Amino acid sequence: MFSNLKWVRTRNADKEQLVKQKAIEMLVEDGFQDFSMNRLAKACGISVATLYIYYKDKDDLIKKIGVTIGKNFFSEMMKDFSPAMPFAEGLKKQWENRSRAALKYPKEAACFEIIRHSAHGDHILKESLKDFKSSMGNFFHNAVSKNELVPVSTEVFWSVAYGPLYTLLRFHSEGKSIGGMPFKFSKKTMEESLRLVIKALTP
Amino acid sequence: MTTDINHILIFKTNIRTDCDKLRIQQILDTIDSIQQWNIDLHDVDRVLRIVSDALTPEQIISVVKCHGFECTELE
Repeated sequence: MFSNLKWVRTRNADKEQLVKQKAIEMLVEDGFQDFSMNRLAKACGISVATLYIYYKDKDDLIKKIGVTIGKNFFSEMMKDFSPAMPFAEGLKKQWENRSRAALKYPKEAACFEIIRHSAHGDHILKESLKDFKSSMGNFFHNAVSKNELVPVSTEVFWSVAYGPLYTLLRFHSEGKSIGGMPFKFSKKTMEESLRLVIKALTP
Repeated sequence: MTTDINHILIFKTNIRTDCDKLRIQQILDTIDSIQQWNIDLHDVDRVLRIVSDALTPEQIISVVKCHGFECTELE
């Protein structure tokens, strides 16, 4: 007569947060191919079934984690930034926001890169990048129309405007620059590079 | 629509290939009391996840086993 009585499940926000954190760590350390729900459940001290209560399958989990990281990052990048800003001021804000996010959340940044280059990349960028993309597009077009930026293709713009920053951040995360020299990202290095970038992009 | 987490049933199976999945799909798709189902072919436990507010785990297990696959409930 008690056969229909079942343990009533409840959602546990702390557990869900732990799952996200551990999944990010495992994806960064072991890569995409070796990632398994079984190992993730063990690392979190929960049952495989609990994991599948929260997520439909492995793809669903990876997509959701990618979108969450993406949204957090893009909201970090939009802090105190407006596409209507003068070009030099806006680019400085972008460099500050992007470097702050990368230094504050190194694991999330590495995980986002891994997921972005997987089969789920397009879905994640579409879901998390929508507003960010239009904002960045407006910033670029405003700057060109105000004659504060040389009119170049998006690819050339991006590689000149952000390439140096991401190179410095990569050196920082590896702890060394070219030739194995020890390297630490600093405000001074950032400002020095940014000055050269702005000089190159100013008409 | 959000799913009531108490209506989710989780099973470990040996449904491995797309062909296996197709075989089980032909059965599960005809059961009206299953609101939603999927199999994670990308993971080691080949987890079958069923959303149903009417069926018991035992009923699912017997259906899946009847078609030649292993199936045990994960709790």
